[in-house]
Amino acid sequence: MNTSTHTTIREKDLHTTTMRSARELIKRSLINTRRLPSAFFPTLAMPIFNMVSFSGTFFALTKLPNFPTDRSVNWFMPLGLAMGSAFSGVGLGFSLIRDLENGFYDRLRMSPTSRVSLIVGPVLATWIRVTLVSLVVFIAGYLLGARPTAGVLSYVCSLAAALGISTIGAGWGLGLGYRFQDMRGAAIMQLSIFLTMFMSTAQVPLNVMTGWLHTVARLNPITNIFRLSRSGWVNQTDPGYMSWSNAFGGLLAIGVLSILSLIFDLQSLKKIDN
Amino acid sequence: MTNSPIIAENLVRHFGDVQAVKGINLEIKAGEVFGFLGPNGAGKSTAVRMLTTLLRPTSGTARVAGYDVVKDADRVRRSIGVALQDAAIDPLMTGAELLALQAVLYGIPSAMMKKRSDELLERVGLTAAASRRVSTYSGGMRRRLDLALSLIHQPTVLFLDEPTTGLDPMSRLTLWEEVRRLNKEGTTVMLTTQYLEEADQLADRIAIIDHGKIVREGRPVDLKAGVGAPTLIIKTHADQEERAKAVLETFGDLRPGAEGALGVGLRGGAAQVTEVVRKLDESGVHVQHLEINEPSLDDVFAEATGYRLEGSDNAPPAGDNGVEEPDTKKKSRRGRK
Repeated sequence: MNTSTHTTIREKDLHTTTMRSARELIKRSLINTRRLPSAFFPTLAMPIFNMVSFSGTFFALTKLPNFPTDRSVNWFMPLGLAMGSAFSGVGLGFSLIRDLENGFYDRLRMSPTSRVSLIVGPVLATWIRVTLVSLVVFIAGYLLGARPTAGVLSYVCSLAAALGISTIGAGWGLGLGYRFQDMRGAAIMQLSIFLTMFMSTAQVPLNVMTGWLHTVARLNPITNIFRLSRSGWVNQTDPGYMSWSNAFGGLLAIGVLSILSLIFDLQSLKKIDN
Repeated sequence: MTNSPIIAENLVRHFGDVQAVKGINLEIKAGEVFGFLGPNGAGKSTAVRMLTTLLRPTSGTARVAGYDVVKDADRVRRSIGVALQDAAIDPLMTGAELLALQAVLYGIPSAMMKKRSDELLERVGLTAAASRRVSTYSGGMRRRLDLALSLIHQPTVLFLDEPTTGLDPMSRLTLWEEVRRLNKEGTTVMLTTQYLEEADQLADRIAIIDHGKIVREGRPVDLKAGVGAPTLIIKTHADQEERAKAVLETFGDLRPGAEGALGVGLRGGAAQVTEVVRKLDESGVHVQHLEINEPSLDDVFAEATGYRLEGSDNAPPAGDNGVEEPDTKKKSRRGRK
């Protein structure tokens, strides 16, 4: 090992800021994505697979009376996007568990940076990945015949919904990761998030559901997010077509669930010390 | 007491019903290298995790660099550098990328980052490997990078948790040299180790921890002097051990030895060896092996705990010596070395 160091760092020189730390953590997350593409691939393949298989298999759904669109791919593309986004979010929980298990997270926890940056940085990195996935899905969807009914706004709303779902999924994944600190959390993350999604209007519209499933789907805030996501892909005559009142519910659900998941994360992160 | 960079008072940590640390008191003075010695599961890492803000104490208080580890955790984090037992490094990143991340997390201004990283890489001899992924590094290189990461903000207090465990002798010596150099530059170092030689070589003072309690504390030279008599170790046939014990007991207190070996602290010093051999011979004990050892930290440890550390010259065969230390990282880190 070599001899002395020359730079003198005084305590007053040290300024940690949440956004600077978050930016560096985003960078780390994206470096890992680039160097381990196999971990990212399912996030990309899953929405495309969903969109292709569901729109093909359940093509006949569009023949139902008052079905919101006559193109099955218009209906299932937002579902594929949502699945991919949720998968990205939950994937963040998996990465956290890996970091906790190999001790890297101790390094992050021992640093004086704000705890918020430890959460926000990786979540924002997920946003970047989800945006990339969304672009690919939009292109694949277009090639399969998906056509927007509200122009650019159709894409904007679907992307907003995708980012929202990834934030909620990431928040839930991180929180469970902090609580369990091992792969037990992973199973709960997947099961709970996908169950919640499927008990919404993920696959069929509310008006064709009956019984308890209808009640649960109506109350499920994810239904509002799907309404936002699909508002630019349903027929202009459908009540779910692009309007502020349709978008508002989805945005509100995203906002509330994102804040709740951030609180859950911060509380769970504190628990690690105990 | 107040000026010491590390002070722990009655520090206790429970994991459910298991009491991993049972009320330890420590005072480490500025500029010291303090060795925290104990077997796997003795409570060393749990104590260090409390002192480095990774784990809340169940009770008791600790101040590091003048700040309370619970109430002022952020200020403690700014003042300390920590290299934990496992070199916790992201294998997909390069050394330079990890240093940049660490620099930002510690709030080092952008203008200083590159220079500081380059200096540290040079210091630990990793300049040439800086742009390689950590997954390609050897164990020694990872430890050196870990050390560089812990020094990024020029901490006044450095915690090294078993820094040389699993390293080859050459890498171990290199790390020792670096610890000495850091200490010369004024850094207070708390070093946990299960290697007696490491503690003896590096530490100004040591504490021996066993079953969560500090059982001895002081300068190695004083602790060894406290043991007093040199240790005579003999090996004989198993069926002659009882007779041999009876003879040895007349020369001093029996001391733990390796399997098949008997030890005695010679009250009358090394001059008694001839007489011991004659008495054993008269009793019909056939001595297969005999050696006399000046008091060592191994003897201090054995006297304090009643057994020898695994890996020491007179150690008993592998077996758990301490309380099983609950895994505070939810991961097994207790492979016998």
